[in-house]
Amino acid sequence: MLNALPCSYWDGNMERDYPQKEGAEELNICDQPTEGPGAYADTLATSLSLLGSHMFPYHGEVVDRDVKTSVSTEDPVETLLPDPTAVERTSTLEAELSQKADTESQESEDIGLSAQSDEVVLAEASVNNGKDSSGEFVVALLAGSKLEEHCVGTEGTSSVLSESIAEEAPPLSHRDEDVTAESWRQHRKHVFVLSEAGKPIYSRYGSEEALSSTMGVMMALVSFVQSGDNMIRSVYSEERTVVFVQKGPLVLVCVANSRQSEQQLRDELLYVYYQIISMLTQASITRIFEHKKNYDLRRLLAGSEKILDGLLDLVDWDPSFLLAAVHCLPLPSSLRDSLSQILQKAITPNLVFSILIAKKQLVTIVQEKTVIEDARLEPADVHLLLNLIGASSAFQAGEIWTPICLPLFNPDCYFYAYISYLDPPECTVCLLLLSTDKEAFYAVAECKRRIEEAMVAQNSLSLIEKAQSYSVSQVGVSDLRHFMYKPFDVPDNHRQLTQFTSPEMEAPYSSAEEKMRLLDLYRYMHSRIHSSSRPLKLIYHVAERETLLAWVTSKFELYTCFSPLVTKACAITAITKLLRWLKKEEDRLFIRYPPKYSTTPNPSKSSRKSEQQDSTDNGFMSLL
Amino acid sequence: MPEISKMKKPDVKVVILGDMNVGKTSLLHRYTERKFRDTISTVGGAFYLKQWGPYNISIWDTAGREQFHGLGSMYCRGAAAVILTYDVTSWQSLAELEERFLSLTDTANHDCIYAIVGNKADLTDPRAQLPADPQSPAEGGEPGTGPRVPSACPTPPASPLSPGSPPQQVGREEAAALYGRVLRYKGLDEGSSLPADRMCFETSARTGYNVDLLFETLFDLVLPSILRKRTENQRSPTVDLEDYCEPPGRRRGCC
Ligand SMILES: Nc1nc2c(ncn2[C@@H]2O[C@H](COP(=O)(O)OP(=O)(O)OP(=O)(O)O)[C@@H](O)[C@H]2O)c(=O)[nH]1
Ligand SMILES: [Mg+2]
Repeated sequence: MLNALPCSYWDGNMERDYPQKEGAEELNICDQPTEGPGAYADTLATSLSLLGSHMFPYHGEVVDRDVKTSVSTEDPVETLLPDPTAVERTSTLEAELSQKADTESQESEDIGLSAQSDEVVLAEASVNNGKDSSGEFVVALLAGSKLEEHCVGTEGTSSVLSESIAEEAPPLSHRDEDVTAESWRQHRKHVFVLSEAGKPIYSRYGSEEALSSTMGVMMALVSFVQSGDNMIRSVYSEERTVVFVQKGPLVLVCVANSRQSEQQLRDELLYVYYQIISMLTQASITRIFEHKKNYDLRRLLAGSEKILDGLLDLVDWDPSFLLAAVHCLPLPSSLRDSLSQILQKAITPNLVFSILIAKKQLVTIVQEKTVIEDARLEPADVHLLLNLIGASSAFQAGEIWTPICLPLFNPDCYFYAYISYLDPPECTVCLLLLSTDKEAFYAVAECKRRIEEAMVAQNSLSLIEKAQSYSVSQVGVSDLRHFMYKPFDVPDNHRQLTQFTSPEMEAPYSSAEEKMRLLDLYRYMHSRIHSSSRPLKLIYHVAERETLLAWVTSKFELYTCFSPLVTKACAITAITKLLRWLKKEEDRLFIRYPPKYSTTPNPSKSSRKSEQQDSTDNGFMSLL
Repeated sequence: MPEISKMKKPDVKVVILGDMNVGKTSLLHRYTERKFRDTISTVGGAFYLKQWGPYNISIWDTAGREQFHGLGSMYCRGAAAVILTYDVTSWQSLAELEERFLSLTDTANHDCIYAIVGNKADLTDPRAQLPADPQSPAEGGEPGTGPRVPSACPTPPASPLSPGSPPQQVGREEAAALYGRVLRYKGLDEGSSLPADRMCFETSARTGYNVDLLFETLFDLVLPSILRKRTENQRSPTVDLEDYCEPPGRRRGCC
């Protein structure tokens, strides 16, 4: 009964303000094997004209308010039936919107209307989805203060949930947040990690202790659902989305009002999981909980909160995570090549990756030959490494030696990471050397000295210092404000690390609020492009203060942001120019030819999934 | 920068051990940078090279977190001095030294010297509250996440390990007793070893109290160990001794 009504009703939540027929047009675009930027632009022009003149309203608060009312009052079964009058209303609305899109107040009123009419579309979509997702379901929940009155679901669940919000432990000073305060609830995105036994492991805001009752309740909810052989995936309320991810013995929960798609939030939770794995390895977490079901994992993670906090901040502010791609520091290719060669020459047995980072961006990665043949480094692993470096910035002269697991490379074994800054006291150029040998510190540190010497000889540091993120003005297109471009395949190397490039965010996106607003728009476009129920190839989205165009082809994924006055024709020309510019600059913007160690003395014992690694033993197992 | 790239072979190794949050990184930071500032819990271990006269002393600042427990013995291998650090406001941190860290020193040199250091003395001892170094007064204002403790509470608790009770001060006698037990664990004779009153310190990374004293005492004490190592090395010509003839650097200050 729980899974029948509310879940199918809410499943298509993100789709509601988009009339179905636009989707149909969007779908048959692209994928022609065309050559060069010009050809792409042609496709784009055709595609855009197909779209007609209507605009896409951005789904804002207003929409949700309206939907909320309808949820709590209407019988879901009724809304499942298509309502012909509603469809009519949708089309008149489109006409209206296309005429008056620039009138802000008008637009929001209209969106309000559309919310009702689009529910028809939503309901239809949900019926289809219901079939795919049998066994999994979504509980509709109206969280926050109105929870008690509005909670939809089985009686058991709702009463448990009311407790979770109503009854909180007294505040603790430890993580500096009063978890009973309204400000605590208002956070854009909460993240909790708990064990299957309901033990708190991590909370982004407020101390885990203070939240232990809340986490216990979350776990009760999860296991209640599991007892019926189901998996709880997400819960939607009027303003928040709650997403659950279970990975082995860990349960990760996100409560967000960031209006991201469920999939995006799920991916973010996976990053959190992977960061935990990167510190403890999957094998040891499994072993620990096999050994003792109610083990308090905070014992092992104590001190790592800042690493997880840092990760969640990065996830919010750095589009690398959204795009699952690595951002390189733009550098003349000759300089990048000579740096790669320096790294290539400084090797020692069991050294498998040499990574140079400057200004928090990747300069180059050199991998041991057998390793790169075996597997490639995933962007997510690079993100975790970069976050670790950011969160562990030792003071200046120190050289760090620490075990780290690259979860996507191999979730069960450790590498030993040597981390050192090459330019103290500024500390912007960082060398990261990964070895499979725990004892190799001095040998690896010796490699660093050789690298440092060669870099001094070639004056590399001051050349790197000159490198900078670029301004969108260099593209030379007046209405283009910002973009993110992710090529899928760099020719000549299909094992290339997925990368993307993006200019600095400049005015009007200089303030934190505006930056976040643009990122939110991008996230929204991304969720539309990657919607699992109705993926799109192209979106032309006229928002209040800018116009965005997202476009995915077999060769790249592109997100662009224009001034609001841009015309469709202008946008097409701009994208042609942009693609041409990117082609011209690609040697500078990307790592094009990833270097390998040609030969390594004693090729490493360990590579992906190797069995003989002393996989988990970091010593702490003996303490359990 | 180029100075760092110069090859410097460490002559001797000093390791700082102790539970997380006792202030190991802060102590080293105070000593090398003359500052107290917010730290991030250490991952793994961090290696520093300190010039001491003509000698290069390597210092390992290790992570106190259980997560990194296994690396401890690697950091301790061949150590000439081990600084066992606790937090004077936390009995637990003193107990952890014996329970968790002492066994890591099994890989240290047999003539390794041990210091027991109670940090955060500024929270319990009025003398430690004055800035030791008038040029660089304590920074950072309030201690960060360090447990706050009423400064007048001199009675040691009946049970040092009562879990859940608020942190309580650790007296000097307890530290001295631990020093004795360390010597016994190492099979060293108390009579022929350095006395407890010389090897037990109370420090404050926040104010700088006793910090230079701690490191400089230790460095001076490991000199014989350096000299012995050098004579050994001279017998084996394969080892690089290029910095042997370097002029003595300044005894303190930036390196
Ligand atoms: N009041 C006071 N606080 C201190 C002192 N030394 C360190 N702290 C504080 O104690 C906390 C931990 O200091 P760290 O130096 O990071 O501790 P650590 O021993 O290196 O911890 P791990 O790296 O996790 O093993 C920080 O918030 C410091 O500000 C001190 O002398 N007095
Ligand atoms: Mg530390």
